[in-house]
Parts: sequence; C-alpha cells; structure tokens
Amino acid sequence: MGGSERKLNLNAFLAASGHHEASWRHADTSPECGVDIHHYVKLTQIAEKGLLDSVFLADGYWAHSGSLEPFTLLSALAASTRHIGLIATVETTYNEPFHVARKFASLDHISKGRAGWNIVTGAGPAAEQFSRVQHPKHHERYESAEEFVEVVKRLWDSWEDDAVRNDKINGILIDQAKVHTIDFTGKHHAVQGPLNIARPPQGHPVLVQAGSSETGKDFAAKLAEVIFTAQLTFEEAQAFYADVKARLAKYGRTADQLKVLPGLSPILADTEAEAREMEEELFQLIDHEGATKRLSIRLGIDLSNHGLDDRVTADGALLTDQVSGMKSRHQLILDLIEREKPTLRELINRLAGARGHFTFTGTPLQLADEIERWFHGGAADGFNLMPQIYPSGLERFVYKVIPELQSRGLFRTSYEEQTLRGKLGLMRPENARISNDSNDFNYSKKEVYL
Amino acid sequence: MGEANRKVHLNVFLRATGHHAGAWRHEDAHPELELDIDYLGQLARIAERGKLDSIFLADGYAGGGSKLEPFTLLSALASVTEHIGLIATVGTVYNDPFHVARQFASLDHISGGRAGWNIVTGAGSAAHNFSRDEHPEHAERYETGEEFVEVVKQLWDSWEDDALIFDKKAGKLVDSSKVHEINFKGHTYVVKGPLNIPRPPQGYPVLVQAGSSEQGKELAAKTAEVIFTAQQTFDAGREFYSDVKGRLAKYGRSADELVILPGLAPIVADTEAEARELEEELHSFVDTKRALDGLSERFTVNLNDYALDAPVPLDKAKPAEEFNGIRSRQEVILDAARREGFTIRQLLYRSNGGHGHITFTGSVLQTADLIEKWFLNHAADGFNVLPQLFPTGLEIFVDKVIPELQNRGLFRTEYEGATLRESLGLRRPANTRHLQQSI
Ligand SMILES: Cc1cc2nc3c(=O)[nH]c(=O)nc-3n(C[C@H](O)[C@H](O)[C@H](O)COP(=O)(O)O)c2cc1C
Ligand SMILES: Cc1cc2nc3c(=O)[nH]c(=O)nc-3n(C[C@H](O)[C@H](O)[C@H](O)COP(=O)(O)O)c2cc1C
Repeated sequence: MGGSERKLNLNAFLAASGHHEASWRHADTSPECGVDIHHYVKLTQIAEKGLLDSVFLADGYWAHSGSLEPFTLLSALAASTRHIGLIATVETTYNEPFHVARKFASLDHISKGRAGWNIVTGAGPAAEQFSRVQHPKHHERYESAEEFVEVVKRLWDSWEDDAVRNDKINGILIDQAKVHTIDFTGKHHAVQGPLNIARPPQGHPVLVQAGSSETGKDFAAKLAEVIFTAQLTFEEAQAFYADVKARLAKYGRTADQLKVLPGLSPILADTEAEAREMEEELFQLIDHEGATKRLSIRLGIDLSNHGLDDRVTADGALLTDQVSGMKSRHQLILDLIEREKPTLRELINRLAGARGHFTFTGTPLQLADEIERWFHGGAADGFNLMPQIYPSGLERFVYKVIPELQSRGLFRTSYEEQTLRGKLGLMRPENARISNDSNDFNYSKKEVYL
Repeated sequence: MGEANRKVHLNVFLRATGHHAGAWRHEDAHPELELDIDYLGQLARIAERGKLDSIFLADGYAGGGSKLEPFTLLSALASVTEHIGLIATVGTVYNDPFHVARQFASLDHISGGRAGWNIVTGAGSAAHNFSRDEHPEHAERYETGEEFVEVVKQLWDSWEDDALIFDKKAGKLVDSSKVHEINFKGHTYVVKGPLNIPRPPQGYPVLVQAGSSEQGKELAAKTAEVIFTAQQTFDAGREFYSDVKGRLAKYGRSADELVILPGLAPIVADTEAEARELEEELHSFVDTKRALDGLSERFTVNLNDYALDAPVPLDKAKPAEEFNGIRSRQEVILDAARREGFTIRQLLYRSNGGHGHITFTGSVLQTADLIEKWFLNHAADGFNVLPQLFPTGLEIFVDKVIPELQNRGLFRTEYEGATLRESLGLRRPANTRHLQQSI
C-alpha cells in the first residue's frame, strides 16, 4: 500500500458500560447491560455505521461482574451486522486447539469472513477452574501458545479450499483427496485432524496479539497481523511501533503485514471544558479505597495507609521480572510513576480511564489532530478505541470524529471489502498444506452423525 | 400436568440437506448452503412458524465432514428467531465443564432462555484430535459424564439469581455474598468457581440426554428433562417409555419431569403414492457399496460380499458388549433385522432413511395418525422429527402435519411462554448453592 493512500484502521473495544472503571455509576449508562445481547448489538451497529474495521472483546475466566462468552456473543453479532470484523479473545492455556480452530472457522463461515482471534496466553491465572495444579509461567505460556497457534493453523489448512464439491450428478459431496490429516505431534499437543469444517473463508481468521513484553513482541512479529498495545505517551508509542516493525524482517515479513493499534480511550464533548467536566464527574465516582487495594496488590506495596494526595514512589514495588501476568503493563505503570511522580489520587485517576491505555479528554477536532499526529508520526497504524462511556462515547466518536477523519482523507468513506482481512489490507494466506505430503483422511473413520 | 391438556412436543433435528443418506443429491436440497447461516436461519424460522418446541443438532469431533459448530450456529440462530428452543449437543469426554457451563449460560442469556444441552458421552472416539491415547470405555464415559454434569450445574448455581444489584449510589454492582465458589473436588474434575457469567435465565438450560443403554437410561432418569431415543416399533416405544418413566420415582421425580421424544424420520406427501415415489428417488441417490461398507462395521464380515437380497447374516454381528460406540443403536438395528427378517437391501434402506430411527413414508393424515397413536398410548410425549429432505420435508411437516395435529387438539397453536422450559412444561430449577462459601 502506498504511503499516500494509507488509511487508519479502527477497532472498537466493546465493554458493558464503558472502559472507565466507574462508568457503570455514571448517569448515562445502564450497568444492567453486562449480559444483555441487545446492548452489544447496538454498540456494534453504531461501530458499523462509523465504518470501523472491527469490534473486539477481552476475555478471562474469573467472575467479576460476569460477561457473555466470546463465541456465542460474536456469532450473535455476526447475525445482526453485515460488514464489521469480529475479534474474539481466546487464550491458549486452558483451551484445546481443535475446539478453538473449529469455533473460529465456524464464526468465520457464519460471518462470511469477518472473524479475528486475539491470541492471549492467559494474563490471569485460572488453573483452579480447569482441574490444573498451577498457572504456567510467562515464558512457558508463550512457548506453548506458539505451538497451539501452529496446530490451529494446520487444522484450518486441513481442508483445501476446493475440497467441498457438492456434485449431485456424480454423487461427490467432498473430494476426499483434498482433506488431509495433519498428524501433529509437539511438546504439548498431539492432533491428527482433519478439522470437521471446511477451510475458513479468510483462509485463516485474522491473527491478533496483544503482547508487549520482549517475548510478547517477538511472538507478535512472528505470527500476528494486528497488535493491540497499551501506550501512555506518543513517544513511547513511537518507540514501540519502531521496535515491533523492525522485528518483522527477521521472520521474512514486511512492515504492512502487521498493523499496530494502540489503545485510545477518549472522553469527548463539543468543548474542551465540557469534556473536562465529564472527566471530573467520572473521577468523583471512583471507589478510591477499592482502587488503592488493587494497586497495592499490583505493585506489591501496601498503600492502604498512603494519603490520597501524597506522592507515590515505586520504592519496593515488584520488578517487572518478578511479574508473571502482564509484564509490559507492569512496566508501564512503573514508568508512569517515575515520569509523572503522581499522587496516589492522580495515579488512580490516570489508570481509571483505561487501565494504562492512552486517554484523551477534549473535542472531536482535538482528537482528530491527535490521531493524525500518531498516524503520521510513526506511532500507530490506527487505534483500538476504548470509549470511557458506552454507548454515548462511541456515538460521539462515530458521528463527530469519523467525518473529520474522512474529510482529512485518513479514513474510508464506505466499506469496500467483505472480509476483515480485506479491510485491514492483509493477504489471504495460501494453504500451506497443499505442498506438504500429508496423508489423505481415511473416510471410513468419518463420524456417523446421529 | 393433567392427561386432558397434555400436548405433543416436537423437536426438529436440523440438517442442511436431510436425514436420508441420499438427500443432498435431490434437486430440492442445497448442499452448497451447508455452512450458510442465512439458509439455516430460514430453516429455523420455518420450524418456528410451525410452533415447534425446539431445534436440535448432533455433533462430534472425529473430523471429516463439514458442519458449523453448535454454539456459534445456535447463537446466530437465536438472533433470527424469537421463540424456538435451541438444543446443542456437547460431549463430555473432550470438553471442560467450565467452558461448557459458560457457553450454555451465555447462549441462554443471548436467546432469552431458549437453550438446551444434549449431553452425550461421546459415541465416537476423538482421542486422536485431543492429545489423548484412547477413547474411554462406555462405563467410564458415563461415570465421568455424570460428574461433568454435576460440576456444570454447580457452576450455573454459583451466582444466585439476584446477585447483581447495580446500586449506582452505593457503588455496589455485585452483591458478592451471592456469588459463590463451588470448590468441587471429584474423581476427575477439580473446579473452584464461581462461573464468570450470571445464572442462566432458565436456571439451567434444559438438560437433554440420548442414552438408551442401561446406564444411559439410568442417567436420563436421574438428570435429564428430555430424552431423545431411537425406537423401531410402537411396542418397543411403549416399553422404553414405561421403563424410563418407571425409573423416575426412585430419584424423587414425577413422570412429567422427563419428556420422551423418539426419533421419527418421515417422508410426507399429500398422498401415500407420492411419498413412496420420493422415497424411491432418495434411495436411488445412495451409493450401495459405500453404504454397505459403513454397515459392515457392525459385522465381522463385509456385507458387500453378499447378494443384496440375501438375508442379513445376523450370526456374524458383534455382540453388544464388544461394541464400544453407540451400544443401544446397534441393538435397535439388529433387533429390527431379526424381527422382520430383513434382507441386506431392507437393512440398507432402513439405515439410509433414519440412521436407526423409525422411518415412515406416507400421507399427511397417516403421519398425524402415527403421532397420535404413539402419543395417546404412552409410547411418546412427542417426537424428535428428522425430515429426510430439507427444506421441503420440513415445510410439508410444518404446513400440513402441524395444522392437522392442531385440529385434533394435540399441538399448541401459540407458544406458551418465552423460554424452552415453558414450552416443555418444565419447572425452573431452584438454586441450591446459597449454602456455599461466597467469594
Ligand atoms: C487491548 C488489550 C487487550 C487485552 N486483552 C486481554 C484479554 O482479553 N485477556 C488476557 O488474558 N489478556 C489480555 N491482554 C493482555 C495481553 O495478552 C498481554 O498479556 C499483555 O499486553 C502484556 O503483555 P505480555 O504478555 O507480553 O507481558 C490484553 C492486552 C491489551 C493491550
Ligand atoms: C436423537 C439422538 C441424537 C444423538 N446425537 C448424538 C450426538 O450428536 N453425538 C453423540 O456422540 N452421540 C449422539 N447420540 C448418541 C447417544 O448419546 C447415545 O450414545 C446413544 O443413544 C446410545 O445410548 P448409550 O450411550 O446409552 O448406549 C444421539 C442419540 C440420539 C437418539
């Protein structure tokens, strides 16, 4: 893609009442929407009106306030929309590659090529939910994730694109010579295949990743096509962007094969003063006691007796090397404390908007300027939008910021491509399996459906 | 429920092209739409137009065929329908209770209380796709299956119905004293809980089971609310019905807490002659050699070595105990062959049409008569309908057979309520978990 026609890619990170931790208490939100499918349908339809590339949801296996499960949710959204991409987070630690390959293939068929997979290795431990003894360490998780993804890709490729014949005259439903076992035996998984569904319309659903540690960035450079990341400043985002893009060459990939989308969490109003007011209103709703507790656990220092208006230092805090969850997010917070020397209240407020993603409070024009600066300044290929309040924050973005970006020639004015790959300007992967001398599946073993 | 207002329950066993092995080659069939959600949505809406209780799909993980995955499919269908129940088959052997509990709870929330779970213990081996050495034996599958279901129910109950309070003023979203760990430690599973989604609208999605062996029937009597079964004759149907209903009392359950739905694979037309013609046409599409290869698996000889009109070599059949797959289906087919003195061709035709379920070819009225007979004589509470050809076989059932059943006062004319439980006349289970330690 030539530089002049390079366009922004925009994803909406869906959530119940918004990304601000106190959004659910705000007068504009209805917190009952947490497991209400109509809420997510509405958000996705707004995003589709704004011609966004995709919507995405985070996921994990602990209770909190409860959430819908990604595949069921996104499949329902697929049935209620026509264009927008649908990215599900599925982790590799507590799942089976066969099920994951199949569900994504199914979602990709149902949505006619709009599925994407945010590959996470499990930032939160969940061994106790899955009859396991312990949550694997950071590097082990990445290592086994790589194998997991490899199995999934091979399963998607176990059907050649033209394996399904539907030839009524000659009685050939499936060309059995084009369905192959994968006979994979690795360190963690042994999977014979083939998959029980034809190759996805996109070949492979789009592979998304959100690692920012050293291991995470390498993983992304090797495998991912989109990378989500949390960056608090323009300069850090620039450095991240350059770093990740530079890693691509060693895997034989070019810079446009990986889209870097930092999180962007706006509070928008017609005037800057109004936006600030809304921000202040949200700060007021924060449960500072609860937030202090969470921060204490996160940093490994007891802040319960720390005055809200006293400065925080990182003295005695856990080092990033000691953390096994989200390493890069931990470092981001340490850097923030070092750089801004915030009071406890300021630190809590700073993280409340979007947990360490870039937040922005201002007018649509100011935001368009900021987006343009990042996009042209080598800090982003687009953004992962995280409105602090749903649905109004997304509506404002779609109705006020998108037209501005369009008139600057930075964003599409209609959907031209059916698939998510097409929207992101990514190539459809060839079927790697055709060249391999894998075995044809023995059809006498095909399951008898009952 | 009183005998007088007892009504037939009908589920459609959904397939893109039909339950007849040759259906996909018929001109009405659309094999090219097998993965097309718009087409499958149309089928679901036809079923809903007929006021059917539910849609159901079979499932397995051996690989080879190409079908949509149940949760993604049913969730998409939930979005294009309003009333009809959505029953997914999920096996216990190659899945994890936490994921399964969550996916069903999510489907139940998305559909507004229309989810059902056909609990299977995995008739076919899929060990090769899940890093396992071998498929567990029949008895072991049922044992772990039972524990699996217990974990899932406890997870659904880990949230009390009123755990979410949304108190903006007080800053309290969840009443954490109403969300509980389950701390389950069983033979196979160790699960702490709670689940990461509130209790399903139905309490539990409807629990469906399809076992017909001794162990299968016992598990159904203990835990299932709907039972699918393959019965070849009216007498066998009655015997199965009274056998299973008779087992309920010892688990403190009453007869109307379990709905028995035998499979019925009909070919219906306005006249019997037209129906027969269609049946012949469908048989003509089946490759005899390949179909016999499939059936041969149940015998220790190759049926292709015999003349088509020779009697079935019953003496060569494997005894049921040596058969680790669907044990009861094996018996059903052999029984039919024995009883009716089948030739190989008859066996083949029987298995072409309904893969072991009763097949029936006849007029609209004859089909209604059959349903009425089984229903009134306690051989069935309704049927799991397996149209041999889609979409036309479903359309004629919905547009002709259903009105006939309605005229006879046997079938609903409007949906009774919003949830699948309400359609089936089943109670919403109370939450038993409030005694547990909260998080
Ligand atoms: C936008 C975004 C969304 C994420 N969503 C999830 C998620 O849903 N589940 C999860 O376990 N981790 C999630 N993560 C965490 C990442 O997978 C990753 O662990 C984290 O960014 C830290 O990087 P690292 O693993 O390289 O240390 C997300 C990260 C980002 C930036
Ligand atoms: C209508 C019907 C549908 C079934 N669907 C499935 C299925 O999708 N997957 C599966 O593994 N078994 C399926 N079964 C098999 C049953 O779970 C069960 O194994 C079978 O009826 C034999 O009973 P038994 O297990 O007690 O021997 C189905 C059975 C029936 C009657």
